[in-house]
Amino acid sequence: MPLNPRLKENKKVLLLGSGALSIGQAGEFDYSGTQALRSLEEEGLEVIVVNPNIATVQTDPKENRKIYLYPINAHWVEKVIEKERPAGIIANCGGQTAINCILELDEKGVLEKYNICNLGTPLPTFNLTEDRELFANFMTDFKIPVVPSIAATTLEKALSAAKEIGFPLLVRSAFALGGLGSGVVHSEEELKKLATKALSSSSQILLEKSLFGWKEVEYEVMRDGEGNAITICNMENFDPLGVHTGDSIVICPSQTLTDEEYQLLRSTSLNIVNHLKIVGECNVQFALDPFSKAFYVIEVNARLSRSSALASKASGYPIAYLSTKVSIGYNLLELKNPVTKTTSALFEPSLDYVALKLPKWDLKKFVGVSDCLGTTMKSVGEIMAIGRSFKEVVQKALRMVHENEHIFSLDHTYSNTNNILEDIATPTVDRILKIFEAFRRGHSLEDVSNSSFIDKWFLCEISDLTKIEKSISNSALGKAFKSNAEYQVFLKSINKETLKKWKQAGFSDLQIVNLQTQKAPYYDDHIDLGSFRNALRNYRKQLEVFPFAKKIDTTAGEFLAPSNYIYFTYFGEESDVEFFRDEKSYLLLGGGAYRIGSSVEFDWCAVTCSEAIRQENIKSIIINCNPETVSTDFNAADRLYFEELTLERILDISDYENFNGAIVCMGGQLPNCLAETLNKNGLPIIGHSIESIRRAEGRVVFSNILRGLEVDQPEFISANDIHEVDNFLKSIGFPILVRPSFVLSGTSMKVAHNRAQLEDFLVKAGKVSKSHPVLLTKFIEGAKEVELDGVAKKGEVVIAIFSEHLEKAGVHSGDATIVYPTQTIEPHQLKKAKDYGSKIVRSLNLNGPFNIQFLVKGDQVKVIECNARASRSFPFVSKVSGVNLAKIATKILLGTSFSSNDITIKNKERVGVKSPMFSFNRLDGVDPKLRVEMSSTGEVGCISESLENSLLLSTESVGLKKPKKGILIISEGQEGNPLTRKIIDKSFHLGLPVTTNFKIKKDFLNNAEFKEVEENKDQLDKLSKDLENKKIDLVINLIGKDLPKKFNFGKEIRKIAIKYNCPLITNTELASAFLNGVYLNSSSKKSEGVHYLQ
Amino acid sequence: MTNFETSILELSTGDKLVGHPIGAKKNTGGNLVFTTGMVGYVETITDPSYYGQIITFSYPMIGNYGVPELSKDQLTQSFEKDKINASGVILSQNSHSQFHWKGKKTLDAWLKENDIPGIANIDTRKLIKIIRDKENVLGRIVYDPNTPVDFYDPNEHSIIEKVSTRTSYTLGKGPLKIALIDCGVKWNIIRKLIEKGCRVEVLPWNTDFNKVNCDGWLISNGPGDPNKTLDLPARLKTILNQDKPVLGICLGFQLMSLAIGAQTGRLPFGHRGHNHPVYLTENPSRGFMTSQNHSFIVKKESIPENWSPWFLNANDESLAGILHKSKPIKGVQFHPEAAGGPSDTEWIIDDFLSDVKSHKGLICH
Repeated sequence: MPLNPRLKENKKVLLLGSGALSIGQAGEFDYSGTQALRSLEEEGLEVIVVNPNIATVQTDPKENRKIYLYPINAHWVEKVIEKERPAGIIANCGGQTAINCILELDEKGVLEKYNICNLGTPLPTFNLTEDRELFANFMTDFKIPVVPSIAATTLEKALSAAKEIGFPLLVRSAFALGGLGSGVVHSEEELKKLATKALSSSSQILLEKSLFGWKEVEYEVMRDGEGNAITICNMENFDPLGVHTGDSIVICPSQTLTDEEYQLLRSTSLNIVNHLKIVGECNVQFALDPFSKAFYVIEVNARLSRSSALASKASGYPIAYLSTKVSIGYNLLELKNPVTKTTSALFEPSLDYVALKLPKWDLKKFVGVSDCLGTTMKSVGEIMAIGRSFKEVVQKALRMVHENEHIFSLDHTYSNTNNILEDIATPTVDRILKIFEAFRRGHSLEDVSNSSFIDKWFLCEISDLTKIEKSISNSALGKAFKSNAEYQVFLKSINKETLKKWKQAGFSDLQIVNLQTQKAPYYDDHIDLGSFRNALRNYRKQLEVFPFAKKIDTTAGEFLAPSNYIYFTYFGEESDVEFFRDEKSYLLLGGGAYRIGSSVEFDWCAVTCSEAIRQENIKSIIINCNPETVSTDFNAADRLYFEELTLERILDISDYENFNGAIVCMGGQLPNCLAETLNKNGLPIIGHSIESIRRAEGRVVFSNILRGLEVDQPEFISANDIHEVDNFLKSIGFPILVRPSFVLSGTSMKVAHNRAQLEDFLVKAGKVSKSHPVLLTKFIEGAKEVELDGVAKKGEVVIAIFSEHLEKAGVHSGDATIVYPTQTIEPHQLKKAKDYGSKIVRSLNLNGPFNIQFLVKGDQVKVIECNARASRSFPFVSKVSGVNLAKIATKILLGTSFSSNDITIKNKERVGVKSPMFSFNRLDGVDPKLRVEMSSTGEVGCISESLENSLLLSTESVGLKKPKKGILIISEGQEGNPLTRKIIDKSFHLGLPVTTNFKIKKDFLNNAEFKEVEENKDQLDKLSKDLENKKIDLVINLIGKDLPKKFNFGKEIRKIAIKYNCPLITNTELASAFLNGVYLNSSSKKSEGVHYLQ
Repeated sequence: MTNFETSILELSTGDKLVGHPIGAKKNTGGNLVFTTGMVGYVETITDPSYYGQIITFSYPMIGNYGVPELSKDQLTQSFEKDKINASGVILSQNSHSQFHWKGKKTLDAWLKENDIPGIANIDTRKLIKIIRDKENVLGRIVYDPNTPVDFYDPNEHSIIEKVSTRTSYTLGKGPLKIALIDCGVKWNIIRKLIEKGCRVEVLPWNTDFNKVNCDGWLISNGPGDPNKTLDLPARLKTILNQDKPVLGICLGFQLMSLAIGAQTGRLPFGHRGHNHPVYLTENPSRGFMTSQNHSFIVKKESIPENWSPWFLNANDESLAGILHKSKPIKGVQFHPEAAGGPSDTEWIIDDFLSDVKSHKGLICH
């Protein structure tokens, strides 16, 4: 059946997004949603998007698209439905959030009331797949094996179930994102602990037989309404069962499965989707016994998922695009494979390469989190490497995640005396590096396999790699190369076949040089490894050992396909790409793996930039390696290199493609950091000159420039001159901000409150060197922070957009609540900031996107830093102001013209508020206290006619629900703060019981229900109960600068709040503004205005 | 430094690709074909339909799970015949080790044991594009340049004698007696029939079919040009004139089509892989994934009256199956028995057997 007939009458479709990025639900849903939009819009349908994640590509205003930046819950979506009256709703592109929302809408009768059809998989299927007991029974009915398990709703039931099944047991909670509150327990004691936690956020938990050491295999399946079903691909986890698939190293297709096993699991997957009546995409996870044909179905995700995004990138088959077509009525036989454009969409991609996904963890950004992996996901991003052998992809992948062409060795702090075999028994974030190390130390395949339970085939490949490493270092025969000339002479002794073998095993030039010279890649003053690397590259090219560009075409070359999706491999003797030689083209560098501080917002910048390039009839070439992005959709550019963002690879591209310049300012800090080395190697960088970038990013240089310009800044000193530090400290005193250069999201940025802390930080900063020194800055308390996002052209500001932080300075800009336009900044302060901005832009001769941060206090306006690149807040301010900064910036980079309307600020009556999303509840043991180092994993941005309403929308979007039962206020030295009084005042006005850890004057109490608690363990337990029972549903922890006490009551309360999923605010200004908003909202009778982007 | 041995792959197009020898260290010639299946190399290499062909694997890593032990007294799973039928194999990388619980030896060791040469480290994508773009490419793997080897084209010869059993044999103990005409049968056809309750009598291709007593006929798959099967198509007329259920698979389907007066033609480079979509002509919105392996097709327009197209290939609309309008006689171009590949159309074998059952029932009454 072609298009659903109802959509012919009413062309409106509502698409639910997934909201803020959090651990377990990240950029993959922007990728899915964006493909869905293309799929719907080319049918002439009008799409209403509900998603508060303003930094996504799917929330871009386009023709026939309306965007509601609303929380994704039944309350707000019903409002949209009431106004827009869509014919259908698509929820399967918005992750668990969207599914939960549509189930709620259905339960409340909203879908029925407004006669809206759910497009895609029928809703009862979700209840079936997410209620583990129902699921198990359903599968058993069809003789599909499921893991022996028992569901429990109480701790008592859990304990008796454990007796029945026996330990070790896997505990999982139903209806939860990414395995929240799941884990393996070995004893009753452990079970008690975990079950209590899981039952606090979920009504039901499941205890099941632990399949320790089994293989984990996933299938991505698509089924249409006619019952045609295909598997897009399968994926095998490198890590055996027990590590969450989001935290596993995953390879596509499976490597160790025979045809018999492959087909057995494939047929079972098809059987499952047929019984579940899936319409669209579905993910099926299996456990397979490594020593028999036994298997179990572990889990079914009846929607698009992180795995489906990965499968889509790994296979080239645009899953979300086609699954959306299927959802709106088409069958797969009516659709063409979008890659070949001539063959049927009903087929299963054949890969002639292999793709490997490696997660990116950013656990150093969190205090108190263990680096052990289990059934709860911890990674914040991922990369995918494509090649033609396991060795090639695993090394590529490690470089993509580690972003240095290092030898993949463990931190030097990993001791030689550690029992490495014991260590690899536990899955950790760096286990794969430890496995390399174990082989280097001479451990046998048998030993490593017995310890890690990883399939020997994978381990053997790694063992081979360490052998090749050894032969590379041995090739130099222990020579100490004193000069490049000496090295060049030596190179002649290496023949073509040998070199080719090394390159086919995935070694980068720098890795080879490192191994041959036995030097660390950086911070070595004696030899310049860059020149050695160039010598090797030149010699290699002379021998004609270079990589070839191969297409990903879904059919393994069987059919001619005009694909522009490319990877590099050393297994080959020709490229099958028609390179851009005569056409004008630009290379656009993406941001690599998502991490804290660099995620979907830079993907938006890159996608917008690519679009703007193509609008000028210029070819856009993207290089990026993150499968969760829209910029790596093969539609996003004229050519996509799914490749590592390294000098070597970019030079490889430039050997083939005759691009006119590289764009490094749109993908965040990673490409920006590459600018200098690319330029040194002869690649033209467009936009800001290298000199401008260097001057803006080098903290000391920049501070000196400001001094010269007479632009005010906080007092500073470079940590180079360690002797002067003492004098500096004497004159300005603590607290001091410690900042290294060239960083994003405040990596290693710290506030030191005393001398001991400062020394500790300086040691930890470690890489203090002359080329990248550390800066010590006076930390100014009580100041407001203002951001300037703008675009400059040849040293002149073209457009400058100011926004302010709701929180006072000291909260990282990525963790702050940002308001646009500014609400509390005086005109004279703004004018001063503007003047400073112009001076800086002129002095640095900026030409492209930039961001400047200011501190504002009274008459003082001080510049903190300047980034000569697009910033995290670009999409937010662009969408609220109606001035697309990324687009204007691109036009300036290309030297093309823009109209005055392009840079005219629109919708001035609107206030936009951007709120951070934290994923603390996913990280066991974390202290959720905010620091100058960023820790949020995502953000939302909402608009309305007032600050209060926008703030409420955006806080609700990140899970900060309005309190209805009771408020707990814990002050750590903030009792005297006038804002604290305001907070208490507002809490009382809300008529909710308030509990505090400090005294409140009687006259102020005003008959309110009030309780004061003492800071002791008993009280902590009592409060913990209140939080668990939801008697308290908002915790406000007002943190002062007090140094940690032995018994830190505030910290304990914070942890308990996270544990029981209770809204927590740790900032005074935010708490005050939030309660004010709640109060105004509850007292005002007028209905909320409806706002959307169009 | 490591010593790198080389072999050369020479093509009838004049192209030459250099690689490393694997398997038997000798020369070989054959028709160059490629398969896009990502698993199932043991099944593929033993499949008699590949007789006289040199198989290129598009999937770059072959041999990862090794090769199981072939047991002498049963149709061991994964093997489609007790020996390798392909003339040679071409791949990108050969896995030098294997650790699968069923694996007993490496691909390399197994090829050596069967005296079949191969060549690794070939740019298989480049080669596949050549095979795709130029019709009927022949090739030879030259390990020893001093020993001459011809470009051999199996499609120019009658090779049915080489792959068909010389004497008939019976397997299985079920109530349904199936006469299987062995044109190079894959073991999985026999395994499936036995599994589904049949007694299978495997007949040499040159059996006198008039003398065979059975409940239903299965004309098997096999290699080569259906027109080079001597008098087989003519002799098949006898069984098609009976009212007994008949199922033709792959070459069997082509032979059956020739017997009823249809014509066969050649595809530019064949269909080989596990991902070929077919759909029902009666219900064009219902499709299936099939395992395919053929160079020749039955021409759609040549199907005589009384017969209808049953399946069409969803990629190129070529004929993928026919059925008789009134008799239980059917043929499919693909492999409902799979191995390797998907078994989504195994119901065709079930349908055939239920035809057999009801036909048998009719006779008894």
